[in-house]
Amino acid sequence: MTNMKQARNVDPAALQGMTSGMFKFVGVGVLLALIVWRWNDFIAIFVNIMLWTYHGLSHIPFIGASFGLAIILFTILTRVVTWPLASQQMKSTQAMQEMQNDKEWQDIQKKYAKDREKLAQEQMRIYKERGISPFSSCLPMLIQLPLWFAIIQALYRMLPTSPLSLLQLARSIYTWPEKFFPGLSATSLIPINSHFLWMDLSRPEYTLILGFSIPLLVILVGVTSYFQMKLTTPVSTNPNDQSAQMSRTMSVTMPLMYIFMASSFTSGFALYLLTSNLLYIAQYAMMGKVNWSNLLPGGSQKTPPIRKR
Amino acid sequence: MKRLALFSLIALTAVALSACGARSTVISWPGLAADANNAYFANGSQVHAVRLSDGTQSWIYPDKVSTHAYISNPVIAPDGRLLVGSAGTDNSITSLDPATGKENWAAPLVADSHWIASPLVVGDTLYAANNNGSLYAADLATGQIKWTLKLGNSLWSAPTSNGKLIFVASLDHMLYAVDPATQAVAWKVDLGGSSLGAATVSADGSTVYAGSFGKKVAAIDAATGAVRWNAAAADWVWGAPAQDGDTLYAADISGRVYSLGTTHGKNAWPDVRPDGPITASPLMLPDGVLIATESGSIFAYDRTGVESWNLSIGGQIYTTPVATGDLILIAPMKADFQLAAVNSTTHSIVWKFPLK
Repeated sequence: MTNMKQARNVDPAALQGMTSGMFKFVGVGVLLALIVWRWNDFIAIFVNIMLWTYHGLSHIPFIGASFGLAIILFTILTRVVTWPLASQQMKSTQAMQEMQNDKEWQDIQKKYAKDREKLAQEQMRIYKERGISPFSSCLPMLIQLPLWFAIIQALYRMLPTSPLSLLQLARSIYTWPEKFFPGLSATSLIPINSHFLWMDLSRPEYTLILGFSIPLLVILVGVTSYFQMKLTTPVSTNPNDQSAQMSRTMSVTMPLMYIFMASSFTSGFALYLLTSNLLYIAQYAMMGKVNWSNLLPGGSQKTPPIRKR
Repeated sequence: MKRLALFSLIALTAVALSACGARSTVISWPGLAADANNAYFANGSQVHAVRLSDGTQSWIYPDKVSTHAYISNPVIAPDGRLLVGSAGTDNSITSLDPATGKENWAAPLVADSHWIASPLVVGDTLYAANNNGSLYAADLATGQIKWTLKLGNSLWSAPTSNGKLIFVASLDHMLYAVDPATQAVAWKVDLGGSSLGAATVSADGSTVYAGSFGKKVAAIDAATGAVRWNAAAADWVWGAPAQDGDTLYAADISGRVYSLGTTHGKNAWPDVRPDGPITASPLMLPDGVLIATESGSIFAYDRTGVESWNLSIGGQIYTTPVATGDLILIAPMKADFQLAAVNSTTHSIVWKFPLK
């Protein structure tokens, strides 16, 4: 009875916003289910796009067939295609952070510190007033995760290490483009030149420096991941802001996760992560949201300008 | 608490991603060989010796499962010893006593990349083609490297010889003829596509036959490298062609079998198709040829292309079957056994390994 009464008290507009978010979630869920169902076909899309890029590069004088450059171009393409998603995520994260720093919200938090239900209602009201969708910041992440899985597997498939994996690659290559471009046939594309700069992209990378085998690419991935987290994390002045605490934790754990992945997989995937990190920072910079002061000692204590809507 | 949950979530994601993509070992179909007593099959991280008499295990090498990956066909050298190459983390070839599975050499022959092709023994020298594109010549008695020669892209095809030259096909579309006397390339010819199957040398040593992903089988003059003929195939030719008198048998990934005249390359079997794609080499039998398919079956044909018999083995067969005595050995993948022995007279399965 009490629950029914509480349900009637929920703001219809806020409920509408929630429903819209839920629909988005269901839509993404259906999309993910489709991807899982046709997983091999999903990977084949990435395999073929990278192969076409690789083949296209082979016609450019002084560059030739470079799988490393194909990975870099593919990463740029992925970033361009997912730009709207990433942009939405960035804006949403920024808006939520601004809300955390907003005096009105901080006052509400103090006022309803012991009434969580009322606090939630007020939070929904502010979300609605400011056009914030809490789902918008995590939906892109949900979509990007299978993308990562697929790219890792596509990179493995494209650099076969045994007859069985070569057979898998051969079966992933589309046959219809070779009718128009004979160079895109599996016969012409195989073998793929896995060497790029000093690296063999089909293996984890180690560089001999002063007699020591140093995983240079892995270190670069770790450093750029740290910079990415630092530069793109908005500063919070709200002591009750739990998301800021989580951001601080993420700025340490995420680079560690990237280092772990870069060292576990082939250097081809590490190159993808490195390029992706740099592009992410560039995208933030283009949107004017990079927080360079975060790199300075004590920089994260400074309060950024809060835009009022 | 929330930090702990977040950290756990990130760690779980990292582990999931690792499990999704990382492979510490190379995975492929098994390698297979046999002598009069045992079948030797390289599967995963170990090489097994299985008694032909009853299908029981004689020995296993190495004793413990590791990150080594044995996928190339073991080779029984003229001195009776067994050569096995690994494609895992150590990339070594070693010589084993076929009776006990004990190592013969003080140290294995180690390269910086995988051994996918099985080695060739000529006299007291073994020739091994590595994934790094180099051909290694080593002393058969000790495993010490005599010389190496960089040829091209990855070498996944086993070397063959006519006694004068060593023939190695490469993924870079080339068939190389190497003169061991000069340790240099005598000639090379473009096959039109990568080649995984070993080049087949004619009985008189004058001609080399090689199938390729160029959808053809080529006959090449062994002395000069001049192409004598090309026979078109419907799709990629994976396995090495098999010669029987004036006929050359080959099969392709579309599932077609070809019977080519060795002098002209014309196909006498216009439309012989077993039940699936074929990567294994044809196996010559006293009364015809045996074909193994990815669908898990074996088909025997007489010399006119008429099917004599067939048998469903199970799993997926990519490895070339081996005949020894009155047994035909089959090593399928994705079956509930790793090795099956088929009686070549009764066409029935005699035993399966491991035994149930």
